[in-house]
Amino acid sequence: MADDPVPKPSTQERLADLTDDERLVLAKVADIVQKIKYGTVVLVIQDGKVVQIEMAEKFRLR
Amino acid sequence: MADRAEGAVATMDERGAPPPKLALRDLVKTRRSTAGETVTAVDHVTLDVFQGEFVCLLGPSGCGKTTILNILAGLDAPTSGQALLDGRPIAGPGPDRAVLFQEPALFPWLSVVGNVEFALKHVGVPQDERRDRAMGWLENVHLTNFANAQPHELSAGMRQRTALARALACDPDVLLGDEPFGALDAQARELLQNEVQRVWVESEGRKTFVFVTHNVREAALLADRVLVMTAAPGKLLEEQRIYAPRPRQLDDALVSRVVSEIHEILMLEVSKGGGS
Repeated sequence: MADDPVPKPSTQERLADLTDDERLVLAKVADIVQKIKYGTVVLVIQDGKVVQIEMAEKFRLR
Repeated sequence: MADRAEGAVATMDERGAPPPKLALRDLVKTRRSTAGETVTAVDHVTLDVFQGEFVCLLGPSGCGKTTILNILAGLDAPTSGQALLDGRPIAGPGPDRAVLFQEPALFPWLSVVGNVEFALKHVGVPQDERRDRAMGWLENVHLTNFANAQPHELSAGMRQRTALARALACDPDVLLGDEPFGALDAQARELLQNEVQRVWVESEGRKTFVFVTHNVREAALLADRVLVMTAAPGKLLEEQRIYAPRPRQLDDALVSRVVSEIHEILMLEVSKGGGS
């Protein structure tokens, strides 16, 4: 029998542990989510770091 | 884009900002069919294109996208509504708007460099400057070694590159493209798409490009804004604004996603309109 798994940290605990770089990415994504109604956000990750945030916004015109 | 008052004509808006580079105001274009019926090609389209934007118009066959481009080029006139350049009605073609057609329309009796020089002559470039400027643009499109060739000696892709050099050599504010890469093979098309992306980026916001295409991947690759039109009579259906750095690649995650979304809505329109 395996030992009891280590309990996963709660979302609150995880947020408290984020590095400054991770907070910056989340803040930028949150800004985008607030601004656009329909669309897509793509995070480009290289070597474990977000190096680019791309976005497409969709508008219905009729 | 639809929040500007329809029919408003101004050289400066209420905030003192310059007017859109190109604008359509409630534009309608009708034609008389051979059976004598009135057919609506473009149905109440309002659109702003600002300086430095790269816009692609996409839609099913016969949706009026080429009609819109011809009106912006000054080759056709609206039935009602307005087409504006810098806030003023478009009265006809001008050297400030170059057009790239699907067929490169080169003069067959002039050499490659001669074709570019001929355009420069028409915009008033002095004779002693024409050769250098023409050769500079031919270098940009990788045709230096073919400067003295005749158009019939070139491949289709090279002919279209000559047409691109000829269009851009005149330093137009606006480049209008009507399926400019539609007749090219896949490799030549990719080369031209990269050239166009590069030229647009290097213009640093000075040049405005409006291309008509039925190629969804091409539109998502090139444009800041992809405008999808309905089946005939053509109205604007959906806009995708793409914020991704250039040069883009067709397999970029965002480009792929936008392509699949546009493809879905376009297929729906095609099936409604019976177009292809």
